[in-house]
This record gives sequence, C-alpha cells and structure tokens, in this order.
Amino acid sequence: MKTIIRFLAFLVLISLPLSGCREAPQSRLERIKQAGVIKVGTSADYPPFEYVDESGNKVGFDIELMEEIGKRLGVKVEWVDMPFDSLIAGVQEGKIDCSISAFNYTEERDKVVDFSDPYYTAEDAFLVAETFTGTITQPEDVAQYKVGVQSGTTQDDWLTNVLKMPEQNLFRYDRADQAALDLKSGRIEVMMADAIPAKALAQKIGGLKIVYTGVLSSGPMNIVLPEGDTELAAAINDILKQLKQEGFIDQLAQKYLTE
Amino acid sequence: MVIQFFTYILQGTSVTLAVTLVALPLGLILGLAFALLYNYGGLWVSRLAAVYSLAMRGVPPVALLFVLYFLLSGRLVNLSPFWAGSISLGIISSAYQMEILRGALQAVGESQMIAARAIGMSRFQAIRYIILPQAIRLAIPPWSNEASIVLKDSSLVYALGVPEILRRAQQLSATTQQPFLAFGAAALIYFILVFLANRGLDLLAEKTKLPNAAA
Repeated sequence: MKTIIRFLAFLVLISLPLSGCREAPQSRLERIKQAGVIKVGTSADYPPFEYVDESGNKVGFDIELMEEIGKRLGVKVEWVDMPFDSLIAGVQEGKIDCSISAFNYTEERDKVVDFSDPYYTAEDAFLVAETFTGTITQPEDVAQYKVGVQSGTTQDDWLTNVLKMPEQNLFRYDRADQAALDLKSGRIEVMMADAIPAKALAQKIGGLKIVYTGVLSSGPMNIVLPEGDTELAAAINDILKQLKQEGFIDQLAQKYLTE
Repeated sequence: MVIQFFTYILQGTSVTLAVTLVALPLGLILGLAFALLYNYGGLWVSRLAAVYSLAMRGVPPVALLFVLYFLLSGRLVNLSPFWAGSISLGIISSAYQMEILRGALQAVGESQMIAARAIGMSRFQAIRYIILPQAIRLAIPPWSNEASIVLKDSSLVYALGVPEILRRAQQLSATTQQPFLAFGAAALIYFILVFLANRGLDLLAEKTKLPNAAA
C-alpha cells in the first residue's frame, strides 16, 4: 500500500512541471495560426443559426459567420458538435478554442468565459399552438401556463430567475425542437425561445403561432471565448467590426434570418 | 429523403462500433480482474473490489465522462473526446461485468477449488485451469446483456462532441422536424447491431458448451 501511495505521489509530482511547461511559451492565437486550424464548438440543432442540411453539412448564420472569421484569420475552422450544455465547459477547459452557438451574454457565463463584441441582436418570443385560448399581453402572463424551454439557455435563466416560474409549470428540454413538438401536441401551453428560431420552428412544424416578441432574456449574441484571452478576443473583434462595416453580417441575416 | 436520412445516420455506426469495441473489452479486463480479486483476494482486497463495484455502478456515466474529459484530460493525460468517452464507458461497464463474472465464478463452486488443491494444484493453477474456463462459459449469456447495453450507452460520448448514431438522428430531427423518421432510422440500426451481437454470442455459448453442463 505504501509503495502504491508513493508511486501515485511520484506520478503527480512528475506531471506538474509537464502540464506547466506545455502551455507557457505560445499564446492560443499563435498556436491556432501555427496549426492552421481553429476548433469551434457549436450545437448544430438550432436552425437557422446552426444546423445540418440534408446531406449532413453544417450550415446556418453562425456557421457561415465563423467560416468567414476563420478565413480572415487565415485558418480553417474545425467544427466540434456538442450538446449546448457542454459548450461553456469545453471553452473553459480549453477543449475548443471558442464557441459560436447563438450565445447571449449573462453574468453567470461571464464568470467563467469571455464574450466577443455582439454580432447580432436577438429577441425572445413566446410560441403557442394556434388553438391556444389564453391571453399573453405582457411577458409576466406566461407564469400561469405550462411553459417549455431549452435547458441552459438565457430563456431558461429568465424564466427561472427573473420571472421565478413555479417549477411544476416549467418544462426544460434538451433541444428546442422537442419543446416545439410538445407544444403542438398540447403537453405544454407556451414555449419561450429566441424569436428567429421560434419563427422557423412555427413554420416548419405548423399549427403554431407567435404571440409575443421582445427583448427579455436575450439581446446581443456573442462568440464565447476563453476567459482572459485578450489577444484572441481582439483578433476576433477586429474581424467582426470589419464584417459589420462591409455589410457581410446584414447579408447573412438577410439570407438566414428573414422569411 | 428516407434513403438520405438512413445513409447520414449510418455514417455514425463506425463511431458507435469503435466506442463499443474499446469500452467492452476494457470493461471485461478490469471486470475480470476485480471479480478475481473479490472472490480470491482475501478480506480487505475483496472489500475494496466491492466498494469499486458499488461506486462505479452508482456514478452516472455522463458524470464520469465529464470528469475524465473536462477535468482530468489535459492535466494528467491528454485524451481525445473519443478516448475519454470510451474509457469512461469501459470503467462503468467493468463494474457490471465484474458482478456478472463474480456470479459465474461463485456458480462453479468452492468444492472444485478444494478438489484441485487436493490433487496438488496451486490456487493460481486451479483458477486458471479449472474454475475460469467453466466460469467464462457460464458468463456468456448474461454478458450478452451487458454487450447490448454498452452498445446503446455508447451514444453518451456525444456529450463530448463525438458524432455517433443518436446525435446524427438528433441533428436530422432538428433540421427536418421529422423525429419519427430520424429516430426510427437510428432505432433500426441499433436493433440490427444488437441483434447481430446477441446472435453471435448465443452461437458462441452453444459452441463452447460443456458436454455434461447442467441445464
């Protein structure tokens, strides 16, 4: 037993300097440029921002935006498809270099990661079935209905912490499309999501309508960056600024975010 | 469209199979070691093995996946998502396989050990030549259960960004709003894989059956 403990202590000791010197000399941006690849996390199940088309290619507003950013950094984008809930942990632990997945700024997230400048401003929407007979004139009205939301999103945060929805009326889903299907089948009465994906879902599934839009939880969308990496943030913010000035982002919005 | 669906999801099969082919043998090796330690390791070692089994059966696989990939990998060792996921599933599975093998070892019976020792075999020889060959045969039917569970649990590696069958089905379901088609195709592929694995193991059990085995 003593030998085992000694051996373990030895392992820990030799691994400490190893992990230290591996990261020190190069900044993340240098490493990305040297490798010619930036690893970007996304959750490709959120049309029209990020999804796969029928032949399996990743497409969407965020995808095309990031591909352009990669091009201007002079590197290839390597997409890593993860559940939305895993993305922040991925950036935090350096498994991916950054993440673009219709993220909104929140204080909670800002504690562990950084955010780029906003690239798009999103609204929230309440989606109901066409047969819905209740009334939602102001956002607080949803508290009396069964509300569905994608877990870990800013909408989830708003319903839980701002509106303080009663837990038994709040239904959290892995993915937005699951909530929309339950809305249609009547298991939930209202669904809260980003307005544009909500519109896309209503159109695709049918029998659903939007009763309210406005900025409640979401607001500006940002790219999620590693905490404290100002160099990478500056590089990406520069490119975002160029893209805004050139009208590239407006064109993308035209292509993906309007009907 | 149905064919397109099917081929897209089918591309995840190699990932599913690869994860299973790492996790299952790893679980078998660890499980066998712990089962032997439990049965023949003496009081304290056997208690340690029992604690291992309890702990690993109690931990949700996703939690272990996250610890191994997000916390340990990159600090002590560098594991890709694929390896972190497969190894986590292998460790979890080892606890279940340990219980399967432990039961099989006990089913062979203490009297055979005594008989083997009486004709001058060492404990190691008795285990290696008398007990284990019988126990492994007994373990095949319950083990085929574990094989199909690991095959289906392999979908958990998607939490680390490894796109296997189920994740591909989710993507298609989100894009096309055809969940029944997407998950139906995934279910069919899983069914075929599990069916083939179980038939194969049934045949193996039949082939290796001892002539005078009870029932």
